[in-house]
Amino acid sequence: MAWSRKSAIFASLSIAMYLLGLVLRNQQLVTVAVVLLSFLTWAALRTAHGDVSSSGRRIEDNQLDEGVQLQNIVAMRKVSTSRVFEDGEIDVVVRLQNRSNIAKVIEVRDRVPEVMRIKKGANYVLMEIGPQRETEISYTIEAPLRGFYTIGPVCIRVQDEFGLFHNEKEIQLYDDYLVFPKMEDIKDAMIKSRVPKIFTGAVAIRNPGEGSNFFNLREYLPGDPMRKVNWKATARQDGKMMVNEFERDAVSDVVLIVDSREVSETGPVSRNSLVFSTRAAASLSQYFLSRRDSVGLVVYGDEIVSVDRDTGKKQLYILLTKLAGAMAKGNTPLKIVTNRIMPHINRGSPIIIMSPLEDDPTIVDAVRDLRSRSFEVTILSPSSLEFEFDARRLDRTGYEVLKTERDIMISELRGLGANVMDWEPDMLLTTALAGARGF
Amino acid sequence: MVEKKGPVDTSHLYEGKVVRSSAPSRKRAAGNIKRDTEIPMDAVPEVFVPSWIETIFGGPIVTKTEFLPPDRMVTSLQIRASISLLILCFLTFMITPVSGTVWFSLSNILGITFLGTIFHLGLIMIGLVGGFYGLFQRDQRALLASYVALMIVTIRFAGSKVEFGLSFMPEGEFSQKLLLILYAIILVMYIEVSSGIIRFSMLDTSIRKGEVYVMNVNKITNRYGRALTVTPVVAGLVASLTLFINLIVPFFVGIFDPVAANRLRESVELTSVYGVALGTMLVFIVIAAMFAINLPLRIQQYMESRN
Repeated sequence: MAWSRKSAIFASLSIAMYLLGLVLRNQQLVTVAVVLLSFLTWAALRTAHGDVSSSGRRIEDNQLDEGVQLQNIVAMRKVSTSRVFEDGEIDVVVRLQNRSNIAKVIEVRDRVPEVMRIKKGANYVLMEIGPQRETEISYTIEAPLRGFYTIGPVCIRVQDEFGLFHNEKEIQLYDDYLVFPKMEDIKDAMIKSRVPKIFTGAVAIRNPGEGSNFFNLREYLPGDPMRKVNWKATARQDGKMMVNEFERDAVSDVVLIVDSREVSETGPVSRNSLVFSTRAAASLSQYFLSRRDSVGLVVYGDEIVSVDRDTGKKQLYILLTKLAGAMAKGNTPLKIVTNRIMPHINRGSPIIIMSPLEDDPTIVDAVRDLRSRSFEVTILSPSSLEFEFDARRLDRTGYEVLKTERDIMISELRGLGANVMDWEPDMLLTTALAGARGF
Repeated sequence: MVEKKGPVDTSHLYEGKVVRSSAPSRKRAAGNIKRDTEIPMDAVPEVFVPSWIETIFGGPIVTKTEFLPPDRMVTSLQIRASISLLILCFLTFMITPVSGTVWFSLSNILGITFLGTIFHLGLIMIGLVGGFYGLFQRDQRALLASYVALMIVTIRFAGSKVEFGLSFMPEGEFSQKLLLILYAIILVMYIEVSSGIIRFSMLDTSIRKGEVYVMNVNKITNRYGRALTVTPVVAGLVASLTLFINLIVPFFVGIFDPVAANRLRESVELTSVYGVALGTMLVFIVIAAMFAINLPLRIQQYMESRN
C-alpha cells in the first residue's frame, strides 16, 4: 500500500486536530478530526488494504503487497517491428484483461524509454475495465536516437476515488528493439559533386559505370553527357549516336573507423559527434555496399570492435547493428587502432575515419603511418565545438581558442595528404564528403 | 541542397525543457559578431533555480499548473464546492463564537473588544473569498489559504462546552452534536471537492493535451460522484458513534444495571470531550480489529472470486 501526499496530510492534520481538541477541550476540533480519520479509514477499507495491518505474514503472502485487486489483471504486448531506423515509428498494442468478477478503475502506464516520443495515442491510460473483459491500448512511438531499447514493464495502479491510497503492480513484460542510425542517400550527391570516382581502388569488376576502362558501346540515351559520344562509331552507324560505356572501377576494401570514445559524446544528446559519425558510417556503408564494395568497420572506445570486410545486405545489417550499439566509453588512442588493423588491409584501400579529433595526441602519428603506407585517408570530423557552442555550454573565448587549435590540427592532417572535413552541424553528409575531397 | 529544419523539440530529452541547439539570432549574427557584441538573448537557455523552500521540500508546496477551460465535470464540482463553502462559512459563523480564541483574549487585554470580533469575522471572510477565488480560478494557493483560515478560526478554548455564535441555535445536546457533525462533514467535503477540482482539471488538461487517454470517462466520474455521496454518510455515522458515546455506553450498561447506566448518562466526563475521546477509542478499536483480521482483504477476495 502506498499513501499519497494528500492522505499523509489528512492523517497528520486529523491527529493534530484531535490532540489540540483534547487539550483545548474543543469538541468541534475533535469532531472534525474524527470525520477526517473516518474518511481515511473508509478509503483504506475500500482499497482493500487490510493486508498491511496483519502481522506474522507468511512468505507467500508477500504477493499480497500488490493488492488482491491487481492480481487478476493481465497484460500482453504486441510491437509492430523490432528494428527501425532513427526517426522511424513503432506501433505498440497492449492488451489488458480483467479476469476478476468485479469492474475496476485502473491506471496503466506502459513504460517507454525516455528518449522516445509518443507520436500517436497514449502509453498512459486511465480506464474502467469491466468484469471478465479485455481492452486494448495502442500507441505509436518515434525513435529519434539509435541504440538498443526496451519497452516495459507495464505499470498498473489502482486507487480509491479520492486518490488517498494506491496499489501498484509491475507486469514484467518487455520487448526489445533496435534503432539503427539514420542513413542519408549519398548516391545523388556524388553525381552532383562531379566526382564520379571518389575512391579509386585496385580491383575492377565487370559492370558498366563510372570508370576509365572501356566496357562496350551502346546507343545514346537522353541525359548522356556529350563527352561520352563516340563520334567514329556514330559515323559508322549512319548517324545513330553511339556512346562509350566504361567499366566501373570498384573499391576493393573500404574501412570505416568510428571514434566512440567518451569525448565523442560531447554536446547535446541528439547532436554530438558520435551521433553524426554513426549516421555517416551507416550512410557510407549503404553506399559502398550498394556498389558491391567490401566494407569493414572498426568502432573504438574502451575497446576495439571490428567487423571484417564483406559485401551484401547481410553485411549492411551487421554494420548497422554494431553502429546502433556504439557507446561512448573509454579513451583508446587512434594509433593503437591503426596499428592493429593496418596489417589486415590492402594497400591503397580507402580508410574513412569519423572522429571529433579531440583528446588524442596520437592522431597525427596514426594518419602519418596510414599515409606512408599509401592508404587513402579521409577524415570526417564532426565538430563538437560547434555542438557545445550552439548549446551555450561554451563561451566565445573558449570557443575561439579551441577552434584555432582544431584548425591547426586539421591543417597538419591535410599536410600529410589526408582529406579532412571539418563537419559542422546542419551540414549534409554529401556536402561534407565533397568538402573533404576539396570540391 | 540545404535541408530546411524547424526548431528542434528537445523537451523529451531534457526533462521537459526545450533546449534550442542553434539560436536563430546566432545564425543571423554569424560572421558579424565582434569581441564586444552581446550574447543574443534567445541563445541563453532559461535556468530554473529553486527557492529555498522548494529545496527543503524537494519541490513546490503548491504546484503552479495551467489548466485548460473547465469541462462539465469540473464545472459541476465547482458548483458543488461553492455550495459546500457557503454552507460551511455559515455553519462556522454559527457554531464558532469568538470567545475562547487567542485574538479574543488579546483584544480584551488591549481593551478593544470589537477587534477580536473583526479578526474572527475576517478569518471567515478570508476562508469564503479565498475559497471562491481558488475554486473558480483553480488557484491552489488561494484554496490553501481558505483551508487554513477556516481551520484557525475553530481553534479556541471551549471548556468541553458546545457554544454557538448565534443565540437562536438549538440548546438540546442531540441537535447540537448533529450540527457539529454536519459542520465537520461539510468542512471535509469542501476540502475534498476543492482538491477534486484541481485533480480533475489536471486530468482533463492531460486528456486534451493527449498525455493520457481515458476510457469510459463517464463511469469513472460517476464512481467519484457516488463516493462523494457515500463517504460523508459513513464518516457521519462513525462521528455520530463517537460523539454519542455518552448515550450508547449507558444503553448497553443499562441492560445489566439501570442504576449504573443512569449514573453514566449523567456523568460529566462522558458528556465532555473526554467522553468523545473514549468513543473514538472504542470505535477505532473495532476498526483496527477489522484490519487486524484482514477483513477488507477477505471481502475483496470474496468479491473477486464470486460468480
